[in-house]
Amino acid sequence: MMDVGRHPNITLWTNSEVVKARGKPGNFRVDVLRKARYVDIMECTACGECAKVCPVAVPNEFELGLSLRKAIYQPFPQAVPSAYIRDIEACLGDFPLACSKCRDICEKHCIDYDEKDHVEEIRVGSIIVATGYDFYDPREASEYGYTRYENVVTSLELERLLSASGPSRGFLQKFSDGEPPERVAFIQCVGSRCAKRDILYCSRICCMNSIKDALLIEEHFPESELLIFHIDVRAFGKGFEEFYQRSHGLSKLRYIRGKPSKVTEDPETGELLLNFEDGETGTIERMPVDMVVLSSALVASEGTDELAMALGIEVDVDGYLKSEDACASPLDSTQEGIYLAGCVTGPKDITDSVAEASGAAALAGRHVLGQELEIVKRDVEPIDVTGEARVGVFVCACGINIAGVLDVPKLAAYGASLPGVAHSESVLFACAESTQRQIQDAIVENGLTRVVVAACTPKTHEPVFREACAAVGLNPYLVEMVNIRDQCSWVHHDHPTEATEKARDLIRMAVARAKLLQPLSERELDVGHETLIVGGGVAGIQTAIDLARRGFEVHLIEREAELGGRTSTLASLYPSGRSGASLIDMKKELLNSLGVDVRMRTEVKGVSGFVGNFEVTLASADSGGEETLSVGAIVIAIGSDIYKPDDDFGYGTVPNVIANTDFEDVVRGEGRPTFNERPVETAVFVQCVGSRGPKGNPECSRYCCQSAIRQAIQLRERGVDVVVLHRDVRVYSRMAEEMYRRARGMGVTFLRYDPADPPEVERDGDRAKVLVSEKTQGLTIEIPTDLVVLSLGMIPKKAETEALKELLKIPVGSDGFLLERHPKFGPVETNTEGIFLAGCVQSPKDIGDSISQASAVAAKIGALLSRDTITLEPVTSTVDERLCRACSQCVEVCEFNALEITELPDGRRVATVNEALCKGCGTCAVICPSGAISIRHFTDEMIETMVEAYLEPSEEYGTNAWPEGDVAE
Amino acid sequence: MEKGVLVIGGGIAGIQAALDLADAQFKVYLVEKFPSIGGKMAQLDKTFPSMDCAI
Repeated sequence: MMDVGRHPNITLWTNSEVVKARGKPGNFRVDVLRKARYVDIMECTACGECAKVCPVAVPNEFELGLSLRKAIYQPFPQAVPSAYIRDIEACLGDFPLACSKCRDICEKHCIDYDEKDHVEEIRVGSIIVATGYDFYDPREASEYGYTRYENVVTSLELERLLSASGPSRGFLQKFSDGEPPERVAFIQCVGSRCAKRDILYCSRICCMNSIKDALLIEEHFPESELLIFHIDVRAFGKGFEEFYQRSHGLSKLRYIRGKPSKVTEDPETGELLLNFEDGETGTIERMPVDMVVLSSALVASEGTDELAMALGIEVDVDGYLKSEDACASPLDSTQEGIYLAGCVTGPKDITDSVAEASGAAALAGRHVLGQELEIVKRDVEPIDVTGEARVGVFVCACGINIAGVLDVPKLAAYGASLPGVAHSESVLFACAESTQRQIQDAIVENGLTRVVVAACTPKTHEPVFREACAAVGLNPYLVEMVNIRDQCSWVHHDHPTEATEKARDLIRMAVARAKLLQPLSERELDVGHETLIVGGGVAGIQTAIDLARRGFEVHLIEREAELGGRTSTLASLYPSGRSGASLIDMKKELLNSLGVDVRMRTEVKGVSGFVGNFEVTLASADSGGEETLSVGAIVIAIGSDIYKPDDDFGYGTVPNVIANTDFEDVVRGEGRPTFNERPVETAVFVQCVGSRGPKGNPECSRYCCQSAIRQAIQLRERGVDVVVLHRDVRVYSRMAEEMYRRARGMGVTFLRYDPADPPEVERDGDRAKVLVSEKTQGLTIEIPTDLVVLSLGMIPKKAETEALKELLKIPVGSDGFLLERHPKFGPVETNTEGIFLAGCVQSPKDIGDSISQASAVAAKIGALLSRDTITLEPVTSTVDERLCRACSQCVEVCEFNALEITELPDGRRVATVNEALCKGCGTCAVICPSGAISIRHFTDEMIETMVEAYLEPSEEYGTNAWPEGDVAE
Repeated sequence: MEKGVLVIGGGIAGIQAALDLADAQFKVYLVEKFPSIGGKMAQLDKTFPSMDCAI
């Protein structure tokens, strides 16, 4: 969020709405209504004095009305922009009650009652719509008693109640008596998948969200009993199944298949009573609970219709914006030049939204080519840091995340008492934009030359503080962070005194190290502008098209003789009905017209170099020759394999059992399908063969439920009786739930099986029979059938993945797929800079998701290669050539190939570091027997000093003693 | 003057799109209806399955 506020190329208009857009791609004129904020954003420091004197209190929207705010307020502490706003509806104003208290107290005079709303016209080349979603109002599902009973809450309300910065400071309590709930019931699908509510689709995120909330409650209140009432558990994303299975380890969590028919309240005890049928046992139960959490459906955000009208784009039947083609071009709206990202086209999780957003950025960028801005170099006078260090200490309260356990004011006072510290203070949220300014002011006013921030983890927040310091000329490598949240307040929350003492020691150590920090400068390196894409399936092709459209030179290599991968084998894609081959043909034409260098029957033999400067050796199977290319970025898009069943479910032993990948053979031709020259009267699908279990993919393979339902419909339309045996029906794509509903309406039977007691398939003359246990009746059902279709899981290409892992030094996840850098902040990047992942090589995806992700890769590469140089991190290892004995141990341990033995002009052999490849991990420094290698920024001296400062508190480093006297906050 | 890209909505998707475009040196207008960006994600306590802090 803060990156947006700071980015020189982004103009942020909050409190604003698009009124009208005119024009065409490359040239839109857009009217934006900029509503008056009445507070000058540039001047407001978010000091909060105005809100203190404001006499009006109204419900706080951010806290969903669970707490109050004033009529002049900041939406939430980390808001961007970090400025107050006057709520014109609630404010008493200066007339007729003549309040004007806020305006009078504001020292900076940033409040202007006379500011007017105004419309501003901007000219843009393209538009991205990312207006998100809203929640269904659960009052409409009146049987659950939301707002009628105090202890019935929505999942978003629960989220606020669990948040340490929320209205109850993270202490979950019932509204009726303020006590923690002993038994909490989650009701899934409130509104979703429900014809009565006119919301036919699955909201995609609620199953996982409730599991997450259950785990959080369990962590804080291990005594609470938890119940999750559900229809199916749809844990279909990467790592979701593992997360779901982990929740089964909680002894107090019970999954109940079935939705309560209603919630009532016992007027005597205030207990909530749930009536439900347990779908596993078929018994009707009535159970008292003391809190109910409703997983409300996600619905199109308010104002979607009006916005669509203003932009001239179409809305779909479900109220969300319509994609041109949900499968082939999911991010295109129905109007060229306007793109869609995130939940505006239907519910999705953060990971998928982020990938779509990057994809939309790639598509939108091509309408403004040649309009790039100049790179602005920071022009501030560097602060002179020679001479004795003057350290500034900032101790973060993190709302109550830290201050709820540690004595933050006392720690700030302790900081001030340490030798070399010129300034020390406590701050409410160190990461808030206003606090950044506060830190910058303190640096300038006090002549600080080192900064210690005692807050959370440097993994996420060090860049924030480095940037803040750099902006005022303090070298960013003079910042030291202490993680007093994760390492003190979170892990020792039951021992506040000791936790505060530990934080004190950590701060003393950090100050001791900070004094030794030296300014480092980042180096610039030239980048090559070409890209190599490995794999010519739909994902690789899409990345190639998007990059070529942005004007980059692209090489696309494919091992096989044809482009298109698995997509080209699919007879009909949902929802358009077009064939996979025709989609590939259309994209191939684009590739050719854009001049992409496409090489068939070609593989990667070797890779050397680093981001911006890779040397790749390609081998052609046709010519037998090798060629080396210089590229700036590499995209891995080699796709996935399908699980190969051994003798699962009669495969290979019962002739009527086929793999879903061979299904097309059965439905070729017209009329009743035949199999082995016999008409097919009955067909049984078995789901999760090689998914969600020890065989094949441990995770959900995502594609198979939807695919099986489509196949089932195809058979049913031609008179076949169809049974689908499944574990959960996981249909989540746009219009997929609707398709599932249609299948049931047509008479396709869905039966759940227990993986611990799986169906058995036996030969029965020319036919087969399937035996399934049915738990509610305690029966074994026998289904005689002509055909059994196994829905096979999607698995990684094992040999190829392993080879790439070795070649490129990129990690593989526990599911065997290549691992992305971060599921949310880097879904298409890898740990090696300049190497990206597109499509199923990262985890199973449908075609639409693969295409979005492939476009996202193009956006990331576009940003990387649009510059002529890249910046290198200066925290690397260095070799003292006088001490090095060229023993090669460092070369062997380096995971990044950053070290080699070279010869000096005088003939001596020494290790040298390639700083572009070095990640500063320190392994080489540890192994070096002669002490020749050290890591900049983490020298032995710094580490030894920290250890000394811990073990021997003294005059030199500061003692253990707390400063005397009371500490004012 | 350079023509930019308009991103409507300042939730996680709008933020990500704006940053990717701005990092590629395009001018971006990010328009948000509410007084702060952040959207629904800012209201979440933790996110699944990695349990990262949402802000």
